[in-house]
Formats: sequence, C-alpha cells, structure tokens
Amino acid sequence: MVNFTVDQIRGLMDVPTNIRNMSVIAHVDHGKSTLTDSLVSKAGIIASAKAGDMRFTDTRDDEKERGITIKSTAISMYFELLKEDVEGIKQETNGNEFLINLIDSPGHVDFSSEVTAALRVTDGALVVVDCVEGVCVQTETVLRQALTERIKPVVIINKVDRALLELQVSKEDLYQSFCRTIESVNVIISTYHDEALGDVQVYPEKGTIAFGSGLHGWAFTLLNFAARYAKKFGVQKDKMMLKLWGDNYFNPTTRKWTTKGNDTDGKPLERAFNMFVLDPIFKIFDAVMNYKKDAIAPMLEKLDVKLAQDERDLEGKALLKVIMRKFLPAGDSLLEMIVLHLPSPRTAQRYRAETLYEGPQDDESAIGIRDCDPKGPLVFYVSKMVPTSDKGRFYAFGRVFSGTIRAGPKIRIQGPNYLPGKKEDLFVKSVQRTVLMMGRYVEPIEDCPAGNIVGLVGIDQFLLKSGTLTTSETAHNMKVMKFSVSPVVQVAVEVKNAADLPKLVEGLKRLSKSDPCVQAWINESGEHIIAGAGELHLEICLKDLEEDHAGVPLKKSDPVVGYRETVKAESSIVALSKSQNKHNRLYAKAQPLDEELSLAIENGKVNPRDDFKLRARVLADEYGWDVTDARKIWCFGPDTTGPNLLVDVTKGVQYLNEIKDSCVAAFQWATKEGPMADEIMRGLRINILDVTLHTDAIHRGGGQIIPTCRRVTYAACLLAEPTLQEPVYLVEIQCPENAIGGIYSVLNKRRGQVISEEQRVGTPMFTVKAYLPVMESFGFNSELRAATSGQAFPQAVFDHWEQMNGSPLEKGSKLEEVVRGIRVRKGLKPEIPALDSFYDKL
Amino acid sequence: MFYIVGLGLCDEKDITVRGLEAVKGCSRVYLEAYTSILMVQKERLEAFYGKELILADRDMVETESDEILRDADKEDVALLVVGDPFGATTHTDIILRARSLKIPVRVVHNASIMNAVGACGLQLYNFGQTVSLVFFTETWKPDSFYDRIKENVDLGMHTLVLLDIKVKEQSEENLARGRKIYEPPRYMSITQAVSQLAEIEELRGEGILTPEKTLAVAMSRVGGGDERERIVSGTLAELLEQPSDIFGEPLHSLVIVGKRLHHLEVEYAQTFAVNPEAWRNVAKNVYGCSLD
Repeated sequence: MVNFTVDQIRGLMDVPTNIRNMSVIAHVDHGKSTLTDSLVSKAGIIASAKAGDMRFTDTRDDEKERGITIKSTAISMYFELLKEDVEGIKQETNGNEFLINLIDSPGHVDFSSEVTAALRVTDGALVVVDCVEGVCVQTETVLRQALTERIKPVVIINKVDRALLELQVSKEDLYQSFCRTIESVNVIISTYHDEALGDVQVYPEKGTIAFGSGLHGWAFTLLNFAARYAKKFGVQKDKMMLKLWGDNYFNPTTRKWTTKGNDTDGKPLERAFNMFVLDPIFKIFDAVMNYKKDAIAPMLEKLDVKLAQDERDLEGKALLKVIMRKFLPAGDSLLEMIVLHLPSPRTAQRYRAETLYEGPQDDESAIGIRDCDPKGPLVFYVSKMVPTSDKGRFYAFGRVFSGTIRAGPKIRIQGPNYLPGKKEDLFVKSVQRTVLMMGRYVEPIEDCPAGNIVGLVGIDQFLLKSGTLTTSETAHNMKVMKFSVSPVVQVAVEVKNAADLPKLVEGLKRLSKSDPCVQAWINESGEHIIAGAGELHLEICLKDLEEDHAGVPLKKSDPVVGYRETVKAESSIVALSKSQNKHNRLYAKAQPLDEELSLAIENGKVNPRDDFKLRARVLADEYGWDVTDARKIWCFGPDTTGPNLLVDVTKGVQYLNEIKDSCVAAFQWATKEGPMADEIMRGLRINILDVTLHTDAIHRGGGQIIPTCRRVTYAACLLAEPTLQEPVYLVEIQCPENAIGGIYSVLNKRRGQVISEEQRVGTPMFTVKAYLPVMESFGFNSELRAATSGQAFPQAVFDHWEQMNGSPLEKGSKLEEVVRGIRVRKGLKPEIPALDSFYDKL
Repeated sequence: MFYIVGLGLCDEKDITVRGLEAVKGCSRVYLEAYTSILMVQKERLEAFYGKELILADRDMVETESDEILRDADKEDVALLVVGDPFGATTHTDIILRARSLKIPVRVVHNASIMNAVGACGLQLYNFGQTVSLVFFTETWKPDSFYDRIKENVDLGMHTLVLLDIKVKEQSEENLARGRKIYEPPRYMSITQAVSQLAEIEELRGEGILTPEKTLAVAMSRVGGGDERERIVSGTLAELLEQPSDIFGEPLHSLVIVGKRLHHLEVEYAQTFAVNPEAWRNVAKNVYGCSLD
C-alpha cells in the first residue's frame, strides 16, 4: 500500500524548491538502516508495524545476514508538511508537498567510498549518532566528507530507548549526555567550517537535532513538544523551543520561567527539557515496563494517543513500541526536520556549483548548475553503478544538476579523463530509459528535470565507474570524487578450472564497475589482483565475484598490502641516462616531497588541473617552493594525478618542449611501477636538470626518450636513499575496562601503537585508539575477539602512509626481505635492479 | 675487421663489388632493418650473398653492440646498412664503440637517398639541411623542422624531408614499462606528410610552406627502376589532393623546392608534374624563375 503514486512524484520533480536530496550517514551500527525504515514506512512503502525490523534499504542477502549495510540504496518519498508549518521554512517554497530523495549509506569504514558517492548527489545529510556510544571515528569521517562537499547536516541522536531501558539513567544525566554528544558533533562541524555554507552547527532549540529510537520507531524534535506546549503557555512555537533547552527552568508554584537552577527558597528546580520533554517519556516507559496498567490509560488520554482494540492487549516492549510510535511518530518528526532545515536543490546548487564544476563559473553549464535550471544545458553526474537484475548490466545512478534528462536524444558521455576539446574518454550516445530508484524496486519515468536523483539505463558500457553527461559541447567535467579510503589491501585470484578464465575476466570488469573503490588489474606475472579498502570490503567483493559477477569457483591468495616507494633524501649525485642511440642525454635528481604536499595532492587540494600560476603561488606560499620551479611542473604521476612531480629546472635548452610529452608518459609509468619493487611511488620529486638532444626530431622521438626518462627517474631514485612506505590503519576499539589488557597485548604483538585511551563519560565503556600497520591487521579482529572474550569492537580506517625504517638497498636488512618478497610474488627477479642498469656513465 | 657495408637503395644487386667481397669473407653478417628498408626480403639477400643474415633491430644495434662486435678483432664481422652507412642514418655510435675496443673498422659506401634525390631534377648543390618528419600524435607535434626549413628557404635552398618509418616500435605504454611488445610497421605517406606540413604552417603562419605557393617533389622507392620508382611534382596543395596510390609504395621522401631555382630544374621536374601548366606558373610567378 504505497500512499503516493509515481505520477505524484514526477509532478513534484518539476518543483526544485520542494525537493530534498539527503543521505543518511553514521558510524557502523548506529542504526541508519533501521531509522530509514521509519521514514520509509511513513511514506507507506512498508507496513509501519514492520518498520524497525525490516531494513528496507538493505537489499542484498548478505546485508541482511550480517546486519550491516554494504551498498548505498536510494529511495524517493512523498511527504506533506502541515500547512501551518510551511512558514517555518527559511527558503523559497511552493505549497506543502515535498519530494524526498533519500540515500541510505553504509557505516562500516571499508565501504565509505559508497558514502562519498551518496554525498555527491545529495545536499543534506541526516547524521545518526548512537546516544550511548556517542561520536565515533566513522561519524567524524562521514561528517567531514559531508562538509567538504558542502552538505548541510541535521542530527538524530538514536537509540534513546537503550539509555532508558538498559542503562536506566536519570533525566538530568540523559540531558547531560545529549549535550556532550551535540557538543562533539559541533566541534567537528566548526573544524571544517566553510564560509560559503555558513554556520551549520546543530542546535536542539533550532530544531536541527532530533532524539529518538529507530528500533521502536519514535523520534522527536523540540518543535514537536513546543507545538504541544505553545498553546498552553500562550507563546510562539519558536520562543517555546528556546525555553525547552539549556538552562531554562519553570517554577510550577509561581508559574514563572527562570534561568536559575534554584527557586527563591533555594530549592532545586527541574530543567524545562527534563520537565516537559523527558518526563512524559520517562513516565510512559516506567508505566509500561513496570506493568502499571492503571496509570497507562489516563496518560494516553492526556497525550491524545488512541490505541486500537487489539493493541490494548499488548504488554511490555510491544506495547511500549505502539504507544511511543503513536505519541511521537519517527517518520513525521524526521521528515519534518528534513524538509524544514535541509536545503532544496535550488538553494544548495547556488553555493555548491563552484565545488562541483571544473570549468569556468560563467559558462552555460555552470550557470545551469547554479540556477538548477531544468531548461539549461544538461549536466548530469553519474556517481555510481547499480547492478540491475539483468546480469552484467548496470543502472548509471546520479543526479541531474542542470537541464532535463530523457531517453532518446544523443548526449555526451564524458569519462573522468575527458578534457574539453579533446576526444578521449568521450562517447556520444543516447539514454535508453530513465528510472526512479525505490530501494529494491525501480519505477520507469519519462524524463527527469534538474535537482533530482535518477537511474539511467543504457550507458553503463561507456563509463567505468563515474562520469559526466551533458548536452553542451563546451561543458567541462564535474569534479571527480575524492575517496577517503584507498585500496590498500590486495588479493590475487585465479580460476579453479582454466576454462573459466574468460568468465573471471568479465566478472572482474563488472566488479570494478559496481564498486566505486575497488580496483582490479593483471600484474606482470599474469595474476588477477583485486584491491580493496580492508579485509571486509575484499571479502564482500570476492563473494560477489565468485557468486555473482563471474559465477565460477575461484582460488584466492592470502591478502597482501600495497606499499609505496619513496625517497628519503636528494640524489647523492646527478643521475644520467643516455638514450639507446646515444644521441640524447637526460640529467636528473630526485628529492622527497613534503608529506603535507603529498597529502594535499592526494586530497585534491593541489590539483594537476589547477591553473598553473595559482598553483605555483600556493606551492610557494604554503609548501616553500621556488615559484619558478613551481610554474614548471611538467606533470603529476601516476595517472596524471598522483603525489609525484616531474619538474623542469633546465635553463635554456633547445627542443625541450618537444620531448616533454615523452617524459610525461615515461613519468606516469615510472611512478606507477617504482624501481625497487614495481610498487606505486609516492612523495617523489624529479628535477630534470639538463638534457642534450639530437637536432633531428626523428632521433629523439618517444622510442628514444621514454625509456631514457624512465631510466633516469629510476637511477635518480636509487641514488636518493629509496625506501618503502606502508599503509597504517587508525583503529578505534570500544570495550569495557576489563578487556583493555587483552587489547594491549594483541596490539603489541602486531606493532600497534596506542595513541589514546579514554572512558566515555557516563558509561563503563572505554575507547582505545591506536595505529596499526595494515600488514599486521589480517586476522586482527578475530584475535582481538579471542583475547577479550568478544567484548572489544574494533573499527579500522586507513589513516596514513608510514615510512619504514631501514634501507632496502642494504643486503640482508628486513626491508630488503620485504622487497624481495614483493618481487618474487610479482614474478620479478628477486634482486633489486642495480644502479648501473639505469645509470649511464659519461 | 668490422665492416659497415652500404647496400644501396633497391635490392640485393645494389651492393658494391667491394661490399660483396667483404660480406663473403665474414663469419657473421648483420642486417640493420630499422632506419630504412630495402625493397626485397632478407631471403633474397641471403641467396645472393650466400650468407645467412642476422636481423638486427633498433634494440640490438643500440643496446647489444657488444654482441655484434664480439670477436671482430679476430675475425670479420659485417653490419649491412640500407643506403649509405653515413647517409641519413646514424651509425657513428657503433663505430665509436668498435674503435674503443680497438677493432679495425672499414666502411663500404653506397648510394643513399641523400644523393639519389637528384633523380627529381633538382641539383644536389642547392640542397640545404635535411630534416625528418615524424608521425604526429594527438599531443606530440614537434615542429622544430620548420625552423630548419625556414633557414633553407631563407638561403633559397631545397630541403629533403625524410618521412618517418616505424618498423618495430613499441607503444608508449610498453616503452615506459620497458616491455618488448611491438606495434605493426607504419610508413608515413606523402599525403600525411603534406598535411602535417600544412598543419604546422597554419600554426606558425610564417608563410614558408603556403600550400598553393610551395613547389614540392614527392619521391618513392628511388633507385628501384622504372617499375618501382615514382616521382610526382606539384604544389603542396596539389599533392595533398592526389589519391595516395599515385605516389606508389613506401618508402617516401619529399623535396621542398627552394627559391634558388634554375630553369633547367623547372624543366626537368616538370615531366613529373601533376599539372605541368600550374608547375610552370608557380615557378615563374612565385619563384621568379625566368622561363621563356
């Protein structure tokens, strides 16, 4: 019984002021999917009795089994706001009907690339925080991601029922715990403050924070209570809301408001929040859970809650659920909060345009995006690929930022490597169908105007993972998404029966399409390698591959870690390589990049597509570069975006620009496959000091220069104290005090480094934070479980690259052993190539 | 003794008597096959010389010279080079290496495109610097040859333009990763060469190579005799319009005619002209050649 029709939704799509695109984000297990159920039930897609148990947005079997979300899922809903509340909206609105496009995203860090993809197409986020566990590592990560994308947050403090039932806290303790949680959320928000977005800190008295229980299906904002009491006290609703939070007290004897905690006689007063908001809830809980049947009926009458005949016979938690759900229905409160406080696409695209679009801010596409104009040129961003029931095909899922998308007309499909005016990574094709994504169902619609989220059929074969669709020939790309996780853990797979190989190859293609973060490639020795963010992510990927994408039995290697090659010092002497025909010589030196600069490049703060003059300024001002050098950066690498730089510091060399291309090509591969172990390079700067070239172009073509430039890069690295960096996780472990000993011993065994240990105020739980090399993390979870009898819950998220001690060039050292191991695994000669295989004498 | 023997331009029979004698006495004979190619297959050469030839590609000549020069101080080894050893190709490096190994070197000369270009009727005395034209890619368009041509043009000299051949080249990716996987051979056609010239002219706009006002001679398989050799002359614009089969099989070369044009040259090359009338007119009006 869906209580709206597709036509109604399609109608609302034309009113961009009444659309809310939002994602639900949180730490794992803080109750996103369960809470989403409450919203979905309000929209009438699932029976409200089942809300809380069903996890509508968990569409996969393994998601249900494990009870975690793996893929983000979108759903469109229709919501009618009470007419009297419409004036509370502080932005342009038409009428009281709203379309809400909601995306439920996974909370486990290994899948946070899904969150990134979800955030890109939404303007607001509902941040779910567990009221007992508080703000956790992943809460911070997703919130940071949201803010950098200029996504406005609202918060729900979830699982309040646990605090009441399990922890039995007092009203004031609960208020204090709320305050602490809100404070830590606001600390994060203010850290990533962005002028364009304005102040987006959350306040209960402004109605941007809700409290509730997804499991029981109830939630409220202060607005709900303010509405109840406003009439009684004869004040405006917004004034009432202010009174219901903070140091506001009501003296029942004098019937006066005060800001002091004591009355004139020094007797303590009860906080208004406790008295007017928490008290009724506590009373209901008390009456129901302690079977005070007689007390229930009058209370219900007072609260204007009517129970059906069969519901009156319920007892205990079941009854509690029914009452609370009728008293404070979660769907209404949350949807109301979302509609009131999250921006519409029309509002949001105005300030998001500049962070979304790569091109100039005054071309037709940028203006179309800024105005969210359904009549502008089409600009559509595909943020991810969603598998269809038709095996091997995908819906291209994304958002219309400008114009209107429909089946039929030819559109330009621009992949991430597309450059305006060029033909690479560009297809001109038409969309076959547009569909509305409704959790596990889809509904075909005819077209879709700007500001909406939609799925497209028929363009999946032209895009790998994401891309820009447009009708404007001059349109640049939308900015590529930056993922907060990197695929640092790898496994090699092979088929059990050789005849299945083609299926594996096809399956890998599908796998890499269906997941924003996973990478798959074939290495030198012909093995198929899959890289993911962590053990769990890989496990899911491999399962998908084996059971779905490839559908053939596979042999999997043990997981291994991807390292990075880097240098520690400047090359001790100038490296020289001659071209094969000996007519060209390249002279170069290597030196390390600052870690801050490497990070800035990885985060996209310093970008190969920036204007080179502006970039040079930033490099000079913030990273201490020489401006002249900074202007002569030839390229980033690998993949033209990585954290390695090739810099031309030559003086007055003829024909230099004619070999630039060859050098750039060589640098891409040299940094992708470093000199020591064929691992990706990181934090390397190569300075081309001088070159001598043959006068005739034919004798200094790519065939001569590319190998030479690659060799001079390698030679320069080997002369610059080369070393490896290994990936390190930040692990956050929640546990009771008695488990801490076990945690420490497991961490010590695995080169873990504890950085903090804190008790969560008001709970017996401790939070331990530590750095743990990814290398040592395999099997960490199970060992931890064994050592703490299952009381510790770790969350590991990739944190940084750590330089390893020692030198791989030293015979017999531990690092040399590591390098040998990698080389053998890759089917290379075990020894690191000697310097003279790259370095030529004069 | 290490011999570098020029093979001439056409087939197995172009070798000089001295060259043939040297080959017959060698214990190992290498055939260099990347800077240019002959018009016949290696088997024909082997049959004629009565020797087995070892094919030496770019990689071998440039990186495995030690292997080529092995024992050359005790026995005779020859490297066969299409054209002349010191012609358009650069084999000085291997001679230097041989010298440093104290191996005596003997060079046997032969005809090269550098002199055979005279077949088009332009006098060799009036040629300036020779330039090569490489295959352009999307991003790599070296245009320094334009400056060389300009220098020639300023002095009124003809320019021999050698067109790129890629016999055994690696793709950029394979080059960068050091993998020895080769692309199929490619030879630049006259049409492509002329359009690349026009492209750079448009870019630089110095009026050196204006298609309608520049005379040029396209040559293919020079020295191959009447059944193979093709010489076509005309303005660049005219050459661009011709169907590609008129220029014959690769290899191709192109001569840009300089301003110091003798009337005999005009007359001789006119026999190859696409449009003899137009050829004369341009020579007269643009080049200022006094024709009666």
